[in-house]
This record gives sequence, structure tokens and C-alpha cells, in this order.
Amino acid sequence: MRKLSTIILSLLVISSLLLAACAPAAPAPAPEAAPAEATEAAPAEATEAPAEEAAAEATEAPAEEAAAPSGDVIVATPGQAVKMVLMPKFLGILVFDQANQGAQEAHAELGNTDELQFLGPTPENSVAGQIEIVTNATTQGVQAIMISNNAGDQIAPAAQAARDAGMTVVTWDSPIPSAEGEQLFVAQVDFAETGTVMADMARSILGEDGGKFAVLSASPDAANQNAWIASLQETLTDPAYANLELLDIVYGNDQSEDSYNQALALIDKYPDMELIMAPTSVGIVAAAKAMQDEGLCDTVKVSGLGLPAEMVEYTLNGCAPEFALWSFVDLGYTTYYAAYLLATGAMQGAEGETFEAGRMGTYTIEKDPTRDAGLRIVMGPFTVYNADNVEAASK
Amino acid sequence: MRPDWSIFRRWEGLLLILLILIVGYNALSTPGYLTVGNWVNLFQLSIEKIIVALIMTFIIINAEIDLSVASVMGFSACMMGFLFAGGMPMEWAIAGGLLAGFVAGLFNSFWIGIVGLPSLVVTLAGLIGYRGLAYVLLEDRSIGEFPAWFDRLGQQPLIGPFPLALIVFFVLLIFAIIVLQYSGFGRYVYVIGNSKDVARYSGVRVRRTKMILFVVSSTVAALAGILYAARLGAVRGDMALGFELDIITMVLLGGVSIFGGTGTMWGVLLSVLIILNLRNGMGLANFSGHVQTGVIGVLLILSVLVPNLAGTVQAALKRRRARTVEVVAAE
Repeated sequence: MRKLSTIILSLLVISSLLLAACAPAAPAPAPEAAPAEATEAAPAEATEAPAEEAAAEATEAPAEEAAAPSGDVIVATPGQAVKMVLMPKFLGILVFDQANQGAQEAHAELGNTDELQFLGPTPENSVAGQIEIVTNATTQGVQAIMISNNAGDQIAPAAQAARDAGMTVVTWDSPIPSAEGEQLFVAQVDFAETGTVMADMARSILGEDGGKFAVLSASPDAANQNAWIASLQETLTDPAYANLELLDIVYGNDQSEDSYNQALALIDKYPDMELIMAPTSVGIVAAAKAMQDEGLCDTVKVSGLGLPAEMVEYTLNGCAPEFALWSFVDLGYTTYYAAYLLATGAMQGAEGETFEAGRMGTYTIEKDPTRDAGLRIVMGPFTVYNADNVEAASK
Repeated sequence: MRPDWSIFRRWEGLLLILLILIVGYNALSTPGYLTVGNWVNLFQLSIEKIIVALIMTFIIINAEIDLSVASVMGFSACMMGFLFAGGMPMEWAIAGGLLAGFVAGLFNSFWIGIVGLPSLVVTLAGLIGYRGLAYVLLEDRSIGEFPAWFDRLGQQPLIGPFPLALIVFFVLLIFAIIVLQYSGFGRYVYVIGNSKDVARYSGVRVRRTKMILFVVSSTVAALAGILYAARLGAVRGDMALGFELDIITMVLLGGVSIFGGTGTMWGVLLSVLIILNLRNGMGLANFSGHVQTGVIGVLLILSVLVPNLAGTVQAALKRRRARTVEVVAAE
């Protein structure tokens, strides 16, 4: 009897474990299908305006370069089968979901007959999780992976192993600092320009007298944020910005609670601080909320890079009068085109190559001036949001 | 000769069946799973955790817990990075990292062994304290650009397809099996875990055994932290954050009782294989990280519930049978 009951129980456990293991397998493809549909409906409106702007402005600059005798514009051949993975820094961040919408849009447009997966780690496991996903993708025979790197150079060995296995590795949003294992970085904006944009916003908010401010960044290993902060510091050395004083740089790791607490700590530490500059969509919202909750919006303003939909409330009530961003939908879209062209062999990923990225126009691959090694394309442009245009953009 | 089925009534038997099912399912459903490369990856991606799980098995069987291991991993790796960035040759920096772990272990074992505080409290303080020290050393910096030979040790195969960390794991595994299952020291660990008082009155040097375990635990954690640094090619303050829970999960799922005294290294080895294969299978099937964490969580809950539930049911059956016998006897 006793033995029998143990055996029965064991079987129950095993079957329930199997159920637990298998159950998510079926609904797993569902979330993929949903955003794909949503892409067609929602962002069509949301992106139309910036997309046109972007296409217009973005093409202007490279158009001149493209006219140079360097060669022909590479155009994608639709309908090829390329197994692709889009990897955000981690899951659950709106801007990355938007990038996925853009990539799905390009995926449908090019009629790729294989699948595009949106895979990311959980926030608390970002570094190890990103490495695991790149490693698993190599095993799975994925042909192209698009990485928004949150692991600094720690991801380089895994990316290099993927390259050695013949995979196309493109970074977007945040590159691999050493560029090891990376073929091309799709920069959202010119990183050197970001510092000027932030410094200009600071000057516009603080007025002609200038003032003291602090930076609330994401994680200390985020290559994009670090490059922007470096560019901001570079800009501040210009005598035109002499009356702006950068007090401190703190890190909220792109976690709302962390960022909120870091913003509060800044207030305690620097009573004469007048502005928090957060070049991250998570940090800027957390900082604005912290100032609002503390009733400090009159004395300490918030600015940086944020999403209109998340910032509209704080812009209208004056906590964050001005902030900037680019379209993440367009970024995902452009990245997809670059990765598709590289993976299909249409493009080699060499400096000087010019290619067409669908509705976004043409881009030319160039040396990345913000890193010692590495190639990039620059998407652009920045849109600065304030009380006049934030409501329209947040819809 | 009748086959001996008794193994399937033990926890290890259940784990073995579960492992076979998972491996079978992965092999059938996922191309690329049954390749040497994937199996090396599968170990490599969690290698530091499973190295520490070996010594954690000793500690939990001893009816203690070491919550500070992940912080010691981070602290030791950061110490190594700090020393290297300060201009010390890499070999000395590695020694410095290991020494930091050893000293952390001495500190833990002083409070547990000499002062007699519960290990839960001491190592909880260690969890916070050593992590704090890691942040103090590196602040928000990330230190990389170690010598190429160091990165190669963590990332490239050393012998055949096997990288250094994997070889370290298997050597330590064999050592741990021999010590725990077949040596006098291993016997003491079990006896103390069952009853500290019985052990003391039987002449077992309880205090010394515990202190050795905690020093070894932190030193192994330091080694794992340095291997982790070699695999990633860079260190920063939040390295290995939260690893202690994954490590304890592996040990408990292996059938080691949290109250001490029972469990085997074989069970832990099976549990490690189950968790690694489950993670790898789910990863290759493109499950999101959230789902993976959830499934492992369910597994842990079941591993704690099932043995207890089985015990309760058996006791109830026994009582009922006893009652029936009584009734029959009365008639």
C-alpha cells in the first residue's frame, strides 16, 4: 500500500511537471501574432508623423554621400527565408516593444518566409540572460540576431562565437563597446549630437543664467548612455555652455524604483540642483514622478530622453517641460533591413556601402566616431517635445 | 533474478525519471540539442552556480545555510578587478580575489563557529556586507580588458571541447562525492545535520566541522566568481547578484532537506542536470525568461511539497489501517 501510494504520487508529480513544462508551449506564439496585428493598426497612426519627418530629414544627409561615386544603392530582395531574433535590453519596456513593432513591419514588408522572434531576458537577469539568448540562438541556427546590448563588453565572447558560427550580428540602440563580434551598429541618432541636444534643453529650461544639474542614467555598462553622457560632458566644455554645471552622474539601472530613489537621493545631496537630466526613458519618468510626489516641480525640473506617451502628464504640469527622443518603431524597422541585407549576403557590411531601408530611405555605412573600432549607420533625427507638441505625439 | 525497482521509490529515482523525460523531450523536439557544443554551452551558462551548489550541499546537509555565496562571488571578482586595475599582475590579482573569499569565509565561520550565531543571520549579513564591499571597490565602474590568456581560460575550450570551468566542476564533483559519501568527514557532516547534540556527545568536533565548511564555501565561491569574470571578460559590482537562490534551489530539488541530515551528492547532481536541461530546452524553444523562472519555481515548490505530502498520506493510511485492525480485533 505504502509503496503503491508513493508510486501514484510520483506519477502525479511527473505528469503535472510535464503539463507545466508543455503548457506554455502552445500559447507561446500568440504574443508574437498579437503585436504583428497591432503593428498595422496602432503605430500606423503613431509613427506616420515622425516617420515622414524622419524619412525626409534622414535621407537628406546621406543622400549627399550616396551621390558620391562610392557605388550603387543596395536594395533588398524580398521573400527570402532568414531566421531572425530581435533582442532588447530586457522585456517589459515600452520603447523596445515599439522597436519590435517596427521590425515586425519590415518583416512583413520583405515577406521573410522564416520567423522573427522577439526574445529578451528578465530585467534582474539582463547580462546573463542576454548572453544565454545569443548562445542559444547560435545553437538554434538563427541566421541573424539584432542586439540592444546591456552587457557592455561581457557579451562580446558570445557575439563572437555567433559570428564564428556564421550568424549575422547587428546591434541597435546600444552597441558592443569594443565592436568585437558586431558587424554593424544601427545608431538611433548621432551620439555626438545627443550631448548638444541635452545641453540645449538644459539651457532652455534653466534660462540664460544656467544652473546646476545632475545626470540620472541607466546601467553603468550601457554603451549608448555612456556615450551620450561623454558627449554631454564634451559639449559642456564649450564656453557657450559655461554656466551649466554638471554635479554628479548616478545610475538607476533602468529600474523604476531604483531610478526614483536615485532621483530623491540627488535632491538630498544637492540642495542647489535645479535640473535632473535622464537620458533613459525609464529614468526620466521615475525622476519626474519623484519630483511631482515631493512637490518639487517648481524648483527641480526634469529633462532627458523619454517617450511622449509616458511623459505627457509631466510635460503638461511643468515637471518636465522639455525632452527629446527618436522613433523606436523606425529604429526597429531600419535595423531589420540592415540585418536582412547582411544575412542574405546582399550587403557585406563594409565601410562605404549604401543601402536602402524601405520607407526610411538610404543609409551609408561609416566608421563609428564614438568607438575605437566599429561601423555604424545613423538613423536620426531627434524630435524635441514640449507642451506644444507632446499631446499630439502621445496619442 | 528479479530487477530491483527500489531506486524508483526514492527521490533520486524520481529525479532520474524526470531527467530522462526532459532530455527525451528536448532531444525529440529541439534540433541542435544533442550536440557536444550545446551540452558544453548548457553547462557553461550556469557553471559558476553549479560549482557553488556542490559545497552548498555540504552546508545544508549540515543543517546550516550560506546565503552569502553570491555576494562573495561578486566581492572576490571585484577585488581581483580592483587589484588588476590598480596595476597588479593578473596572477597576483587572482590570488588576491581568492584570498578575499577565504577571509570572508573566516569571518563567517568566526561568528558561526566561535560566537555561535545562527548561520542564517551571519550569512544574511554577509549577503549584504560583501555585496556592499564589491560596490565600494568598483562603484559604478566596469573593469575589463584582462590579459587575453585570462579571457581565453573562461571562454575557450582547454582540453578537447571542455573549458576550464567545466573541468574544475567535474574534478570538484568527484572530490565532493568521495568526501561526502565515502569519508569520515562526510559522516560527521550527516551526523551533525541530524542532531548537533548527539554529534557532540559522540565526540564529533561540531564546531571545527562547521568552520571548515564555511571557509571552504566562501573560497569555492571566490573561485567561481573569478571563473565567472573570465567567462564574461569583465567585472562589475552587481556580478552574480541573486545567484544564491538559484544555487539553493538546485540543492533542495536534489532532495537535500532544509532541516539537514538527509540528501546525497547524487541527488544534487541529478537536480543540476534537470535544471540545466530544462532551462536549455526552454531557451531553445524560445520561452521567455519570465516563463523559465516560473517553471523552475513550480519545480522547487513541488520538490518541497511532494516528499512532505507523501509522508502525510502514508501516515494517514497507516492510521486508518491501524483503526481497521482495531475494529476487527474488537469484533
